Amino acid sequence: MADRQPFEDLYRDYLGRIYAYVRAQVGTSADAEDITAQVFMNAYQAYPRFEARNTTPAAWLFRIARNATLDHFRAHGRRERLRRTIQHQPETVEDPAGQAEERIQYEALLTHVRRLPERQRDAISLRHSGLSFEEVGRLMRCSEDAAKMMYHRAVRALRESVRMEEA
Amino acid sequence: MSEQDEDLELQALQRQLDDAFETTRPRRGFEDELWLRMQSSRPAQSRLRDAWAGFWQGIRAVPAVPAAAVAVAMVVVIGVVLVGYSGLLQPRSASTTAGGAFQGPQSNQYAGDFGRLPTPVFAGGQKTGASAGPNLTLPAATGEYLGPAQLTWTGHLDLTFTVAPVFRYHEPSTNTADQFASGLGAPLYERPQGFLGMYQTSDYTLKVRGTVQSPPSSPAYFIFSNLSMPAVEAAGAGPADLASVFLAEHSLVPQWDYTTAVDSSGDPVKVFYQREFNLQGGTSAYLVNMNGDRYGIEVDLSNNRPVLVSGMLPVSMDSANYQIISSDQAVRAALGGSQPVPVTGTPAPAVQLTQAELVYVLAPAGDHSFYEPAFMFSGTVKINGSTMTKRVLVPAVDPSQRVP
Repeated sequence: MADRQPFEDLYRDYLGRIYAYVRAQVGTSADAEDITAQVFMNAYQAYPRFEARNTTPAAWLFRIARNATLDHFRAHGRRERLRRTIQHQPETVEDPAGQAEERIQYEALLTHVRRLPERQRDAISLRHSGLSFEEVGRLMRCSEDAAKMMYHRAVRALRESVRMEEA
Repeated sequence: MSEQDEDLELQALQRQLDDAFETTRPRRGFEDELWLRMQSSRPAQSRLRDAWAGFWQGIRAVPAVPAAAVAVAMVVVIGVVLVGYSGLLQPRSASTTAGGAFQGPQSNQYAGDFGRLPTPVFAGGQKTGASAGPNLTLPAATGEYLGPAQLTWTGHLDLTFTVAPVFRYHEPSTNTADQFASGLGAPLYERPQGFLGMYQTSDYTLKVRGTVQSPPSSPAYFIFSNLSMPAVEAAGAGPADLASVFLAEHSLVPQWDYTTAVDSSGDPVKVFYQREFNLQGGTSAYLVNMNGDRYGIEVDLSNNRPVLVSGMLPVSMDSANYQIISSDQAVRAALGGSQPVPVTGTPAPAVQLTQAELVYVLAPAGDHSFYEPAFMFSGTVKINGSTMTKRVLVPAVDPSQRVP
């Protein structure tokens, strides 16, 4: 217990990053909020069992976030999402909060991230949420080098996606 | 495109990704909403354990939290004292008025809308008034003379009105308290004896209490900071500014008129928001407790960190005009408690009452309680070389409109 920071500190430190990670995966800010809430609810319950010597708090939280996001896709029609991804259709439904968020800078870029294949999207999202390649690799169940390779491949794919849109 | 250009383009894209993830954040308020949901979802046993841990941690951390603040908190916790303002307030250091949420009296209301009013009870349970025997001798404020005195009046009391508003509120319920706490985002923890509710957040414990009949005390809330309560950050700000920032952050800025006063003679520094009631002609009258001390909200700051906040629980009020006694009657009532010069023995010291002001006092009366006008006379007297203040309170509502 002595080496464990209060959960509230963890919550305040990571809420924004977890939300950004989730937001890069799902189509609406409402979904992102729901998943983020679920992540921290789960983490809050599990925190007494968290062992800091086995993993970092960041990796632990992002693992919960990743699982929650995958659960969300399973429960909310992954097929429909894949169809939109393949056809490069814009996300169709946005709540008012989401529409406001659309206006912020870089939202378009995250939309491109959301269209990437799952593992590439994950590699970019985890890496740019502040995790090391080692942590990304652990979460994606691959080596650090494989995580690096996956990430660089994902960035190139993203660039192509952006180029196609601009063309 | 050369390989070098391609690398540069990829690096630029990575920087954009960094920025995109950095700038994507949940909407404002989501963080606190979710935290409260998480707190509410915790098992009661777990919350109780943490509350006890926080309590004992606070006691152990006395060096970090000034002993005086802890002592004040403890006193309030056991419900003995409401708002114990000392008589050492500095003169008005700043004057601020808040928006007029307070409803003034309706001009078409006739006197006595609320029926006969309870007579305010002052120190020692004595009821005082123009026809109610000796006047009160106020107790216990530092620098205040409490003993018998030969009173004389040398001031001027010119009243420009013959009626004054009386304000009535319905006794707040647990629902009132819950709504107030909900506005602060503080979930209910329990309902301890003597309080409408006790609420817990990550930074503080909130207690809400209804009217206390004796000694009369207004419905109040108390915020006891946990050690996690952050200091108020406002570069170059004084205590009054810091207190205002804290109140604003918690939507506790008074909706009534007030004057701020600061007592920075010790630690914690105390910031007072002294409530005023509007009167005819654009004048106002302070709300005072049974000792004649002004009150409203108090914010105690230690190293810019709020350690205790106590204030009047917001309640909706209606008002009605009541006939008040004349200035002559008020003076006679004030001097009515004067100690006669004894035939033998040491005479009571002579006190010249030189000032008088209209104030408001609480008159608890069960389901409904009232804020009624009163006259507060004051003067100074030298006792053993020390200058002390003598205060005399007299109910202002005409005796015919009060329950004896």
